[in-house]
Formats: sequence, C-alpha cells, structure tokens
Amino acid sequence: MGAEPIRPLFFLEGSVPLLRYILRRVISLIPTLLGVTFVIFMFTRLIPGDPAVAMLGEHAAEENVERIREQLGLNRPLFLDRNALQEGDFASFFDSQYIRFLGRLFQGDLGESIHRRIPVAETLALRFPATVELALTSMILAILIGVPVGIASAARRNSALDNVSMVGSLIGVSMPIFWLGLMEIILFAVFLQWLPSGARLSISFDIEPITHLLLVDTLIRGNLEAFYDAAKHLVMPTIALATIPMAIIARMTRSSMLDTLQEDYIRTAHAKGLSERVVLFRHALKNAMLPVITIIGLQTGNLLAGAVLTETIFSWPGIGKWVYDAILARDYPIVQGGTLIIAIVFVFINLLVDLSYAYLDPRIKYE
Amino acid sequence: MNEDGMTERNFEDIEVTDFAVREHRSLWLDAWRRMIASRTAMLGLVIVVVFVLLAVLSHFFWEYDPKIDLDYSLKLKPPTFITTEEIPSVHPFGTDKLGRDIFRRVAHGGWNSLRVGISAVGISLLIGGVLGLIAGFYESIPLDRIERGFLVGFIGLALGAIPAWIADLWFIYVLFAALGFAAVLLERLPLSGKLLKIAFALAGLLIGGLPSLFVSPYTAVVNGLLGLVIGFTVTMSLGGRLLSNIIMRMMDIILAFPSILLAIAIVAFLGPGLDKTMIAVGFVSIPTYARLVRSTVLSVIQKEYILAAQSIGEGHARIILRYIIPNSLSPIIVQTTMGLASAIIWAAALGFLGLGAIPPEPEWGAMLGDSYRFLSSGAWWAVLFPGLAIMLSVLGFNLLGDGLRDALDPRIRS
Repeated sequence: MGAEPIRPLFFLEGSVPLLRYILRRVISLIPTLLGVTFVIFMFTRLIPGDPAVAMLGEHAAEENVERIREQLGLNRPLFLDRNALQEGDFASFFDSQYIRFLGRLFQGDLGESIHRRIPVAETLALRFPATVELALTSMILAILIGVPVGIASAARRNSALDNVSMVGSLIGVSMPIFWLGLMEIILFAVFLQWLPSGARLSISFDIEPITHLLLVDTLIRGNLEAFYDAAKHLVMPTIALATIPMAIIARMTRSSMLDTLQEDYIRTAHAKGLSERVVLFRHALKNAMLPVITIIGLQTGNLLAGAVLTETIFSWPGIGKWVYDAILARDYPIVQGGTLIIAIVFVFINLLVDLSYAYLDPRIKYE
Repeated sequence: MNEDGMTERNFEDIEVTDFAVREHRSLWLDAWRRMIASRTAMLGLVIVVVFVLLAVLSHFFWEYDPKIDLDYSLKLKPPTFITTEEIPSVHPFGTDKLGRDIFRRVAHGGWNSLRVGISAVGISLLIGGVLGLIAGFYESIPLDRIERGFLVGFIGLALGAIPAWIADLWFIYVLFAALGFAAVLLERLPLSGKLLKIAFALAGLLIGGLPSLFVSPYTAVVNGLLGLVIGFTVTMSLGGRLLSNIIMRMMDIILAFPSILLAIAIVAFLGPGLDKTMIAVGFVSIPTYARLVRSTVLSVIQKEYILAAQSIGEGHARIILRYIIPNSLSPIIVQTTMGLASAIIWAAALGFLGLGAIPPEPEWGAMLGDSYRFLSSGAWWAVLFPGLAIMLSVLGFNLLGDGLRDALDPRIRS
C-alpha cells in the first residue's frame, strides 16, 4: 500500500450530506423528547396522592393546602384552560400545568424536592458525577477485557480459549448483577475484609470537590491516600456493573470479527502472504469494530441510566438510587427531574452512536 | 476449518448426495437435528427442562403454604444433609431468617418466576409483535383504500379530540373522523387536488367553528382555526410510512427511559404483587419485540413470494397470515427464549427491591432482598442459593436461545 497524500480538511470531505443527516437526526429527536416530557408529566400527575398534602402532611388545614396548591400551580388545568377561553382570556388559556412545566424546564428549573426542600438541579449536580464515575470505570473495564477476549476467540475459533470465553460470556450475560454484588460483598467485605462494602470514600477523608469525580479530584489535590481509598470503594461496584457489558462486548466483537474474516478482502490479504497478525489487526479489526462501537455506546447509556441495583447494593450516592428512593417516597420533583435528565442523556448518547456510525462507515447512506 | 479461516477439502471428503433419494426433512426437523448436535444448546435445554419440571412438580405435588411456614428455633441455620438432635430436619440449602427451608422456597419460587416470565413475554410479544407487524408491513406495502380510510379517519378522530375537548362537545370527534374517512373516499373525484384541499380545509373550519359558536365566539375562532388545519391535514396523502413512523416514535419514547426505572415506576403506580410485576416487565420490553418484528417483516417482505402473492390478488390479512408470519418465526422464537431469560432477571430485580412478590410468597428476587441484611452475620447460604437459581435458569434459557439461533439461522449453516 503506497503512502496516501494527506488531504487537508479530509474529515469534511463530502460533509454536506453528513451535516444534513445530522441536522435531520437532531430534529427528529424533538418529538421523542416532547413525548418523554409528556410521559414524565403524566406519570407524576396520574399517580395517586396530592403533592400538596404530601408536603404538609395528612392533617394540614384546608386553606394551607389550597395555598400550596396555588404556589405549585396545581390549581391550574393540566393542558389548556377551556373556561378561560370562553371568557376570551387567551393568556390563561395556555397557562396550564404542562406548559408551565415545559417553560421551567427550558429555564433549567427542575423544581424543589418535596421532602427536603432542596432544588432538584442542585442535588442532581452532586449525584450525577458519582454515576458517571462508576459507569465510566465500568465501561473502561468492560472494553479492556471484552474486546481482546472477543478478538482472541474469533482468531482461534472453536479452540479451548474460544469455548471457555464464550461460555464465560454467556454466564456473564445471565448474571443477575444484584446477586453478583451481594456475593462480592460476602467474599471481599465480610469474609476477607479487603474492600469496603459501600459509599464512595471513607469518612476520614475530606476532599474539596472540583470535578466531583473522586478519582480525578483526589489526584488533582495530590492526596494519594484518598485516591487509593476512593479506588478501593470503586472496585466491587465496578466489577458488578461491568459484567454484563463486558460479556456483551466480547460476544459482539467475536461475531463481528468472524463475519469480517469471511470477507473477500481478508482472503486477498492472506493470499498476498501477509502475516496473520497484520491481517487480523490492520485489515479485519478496523472494519469489525463498527458494530462493537454501537454496542459500547448503547451500553454506556444503559450504565448511566440503569445502575439502580448496583447503586442500591453498594449504597453508591448516584442518580439511579436517588430516583429509586424518590419513587418510593413519592417525591415527584426528583422523579421528574432525575428521570428527565437520564432520558435526555440516554437519547443523546444514542444519537452520538448513530452519528459516529454514519461517520465511520462510509458505506452508510444518510437516509 | 483451519486457523486462517480457509477451508481445505480433499476430493474424498465431499459427500455425494443423491437428492432424488434423500429422505425428506422439514425445515423444523432440520433445525432440531442441528440443535441436538450442539452441546451447549443441549445443556441449555437440559437446564430449562430440569428447572421447569422442578417448578411444575413442586407446585402441583409438594404442598407448601408460605403463610404458616415459620420456625424461629431453626433461624438462619447453615445447610445440613443429615438430621442431628439440634436440627431434626434436613435443609440442603439451609434456612432463612424465619427458619424456613430455603430449598423448598427455591423450588416453589421457580413456579412464580416461570409464571411471571411467561406472562411478561406473552404481553410484550403480543403487543410489540402486532405493532411491529403493522409498522413493517405497511411501510413496504401500500394500504388499500379501506385501510387508508380507517387510518385517516382515525387521525381525524385523534386530532379532532382537541377541538372537541375545547368546546366540550363530543360529537365534534365524530364529525372529524367522518371528515378523514371522506377525504379518502373522495380522493378520486375529478376535482383538481388544490380545489379538494381547499374544500376540506373549509369543511374543517365549519365543523370546528359552527358548533363552537354555541359555547363562545372565542372558542369558535380557536376551533375554526384548528379545524382548518385538521381539514388540510387529512387531505395530505397519508400512508403506511406515517403509520409506521407513529408506532416507532412511540417505541422510541418508551426506550428513552431506562427499563429498570420504568418498571419500578409502573409498579409504584400499580402497587406491588406478582401480577403487577408481569405487567411492568412485559410493558418495558414491548419496544424490543416491536423493533425485532418490524425489521424481520421488512426483510421478509422483499422476497419474491410476497410479490407473487400480491400479484395473484391475495388480500393483506392472508399475506400476513400465510406468508409473513410463518417466515418471520425463527428470530421471534430466538428472541422469545432469550426474552424469558431477561424477564426472569427483571422480575427478580423488582422482587429484590421489594416491589415484586408480596411476602411471604416465595420468589427468588424477594428471597435475596429478604436475606441480604443478614450477610454481615455470615449467612451466605440464604443469598447464594436463590441467586444461583436465578442465574442457572437464566443461563439455561440463554444457552437454549443461542442454540436455537444457530440452528434456525440459515446463514451460519455452512
């Protein structure tokens, strides 16, 4: 292969259809996101129980409940006020709970927790980094193990290594992670007492937050002892959370590599007398990685969103456990805000996956 | 096959088959033979059969009343295999915090897990399957006139709900539905397209505006404008692609929520209980089935036999029933098997969080949730065995699904 001349702005070549495709994909998100806000809004309104009563308690005076209802806008109709229209009052016609909810969202106002009276956005800013830290370390672990295992299995198809790793990955996919987490706690925290069984950091450490990612913060502050402590707290939840994506990535890498290895250009490469290693890594791997990247993206979204169980078992102060507790406590503003952020992050990660896929694989038409 | 992926064949290796005398084998028999040839698939089948037998037999032949099962003198005893003076009964899996035999509860919990899994998969397969079938079918094959009439009539009805609600007059719904239906019926009138559009927009204006005048002039203005838009909308050539788009966007909305949170929210809304767990778990996986069925139908519908069936004038229902469904079965069977596995995990997860089975009903996830507070006292058996049951049964269904995929997928047959 001769050296190709470096073309300036090569990444923009033929980018007009790509840009148009991006624009269309982003626009197509609007109905989905509106639908998401609608579902979240409807859920919190349909669930039995009056938030005003929940705030004040069962025995609150009628006029106090009424005042809180007015403060929260609960006395307004859900979508449109048809009675106001009859009077010709167009401003009140649109002044409804849902429209107000959307309006506040656009201003970044997610409301206040009913029980603790803390702005939801404030807690979210503290909680989200904990989830991100856990999800990212898990994903990195999953990729570091899953991808090489998948490649090795494909390269040595039907070997003992292949069989062991594929049975292992099937067990991984079948693992109830809450159980795996419990077994880890029994082994490493109860019997061996090597690792702490919950929280992000021992209480004795006090780290002034910068990024709220403890691994990063402790390093920036140069507190190696705290870094070691934070890392120790991360080990068990990371393993529990990484198991399923690791297994999925290994299986995906293997099957994608096997597909690619059957292509004609691989046979050509072999026929040219290229070494096994060059064929595997230079010719096959690059093309085989496309579906793997998709899976990695989708799984990252899942990890950010679905760590409820892991966070519950390891008392990890992340967003999943927070929303779960709020659902049980009927603290609707938290449920609304938390779920909304999770859903938006999830939708945008999916968008990024789609876009990267279109960008990486030139064969895909931007339809 | 050797290492570099190339196949070397000697002449003697090539099997000569006389196709005229080869015994007839159906597709399914073929698949079955391929499956029993695979060791992992058979392992999966064995696990599944053992698990199902254990659950069914213990449900019908091994009486158990969870309400009276408790014996504090046997609280949290480790597994025993022989009777001693201290523990007069045998507990191969140990006992839990109420002195209940864990083996017995695991066996009976299997019935509950199986029940929840099958019902949940049934719910998502039925709803998701029908939605996916409609989306895939009408995305490729144009709707006939009656179907289009119903679709556009339904759109008129749905959009008409807004002015009908604003004016609080229910018959406006019906008028808009009729307007939509009429738009399809009158399409072939020898009028120019523009004229037809204007006529329908005006009709919409009248339907929305006139009855609303009785409510208030302001209502009439708003409804008239809405009616104008709706009247114009129903004359656009709305077809199957729109239908498919509506369905798949709805699925996207469900998918935008993390399944576990959505399931928790549904159970929080409906209240705890195994039947609610079924609904929650079934609901969250509807999009999986809808997407799978849609993409399968889209690929089946490209085949020549569909074109042939269309060209001899077979109706849509007949094409779907006779050609599309039978030819889309294999990926659906695989997904259903694997779906059982994930339904069992989801149900156990809800049970673990205390949202599934109502105690003292035995359910694997709930048993874990009950016992994990006793971990620090070293009662590993109370957590190990129920979890092992979840993992093994899930593994069984996954192995079986994997084997089925290999057996049913013609591409890997070589």
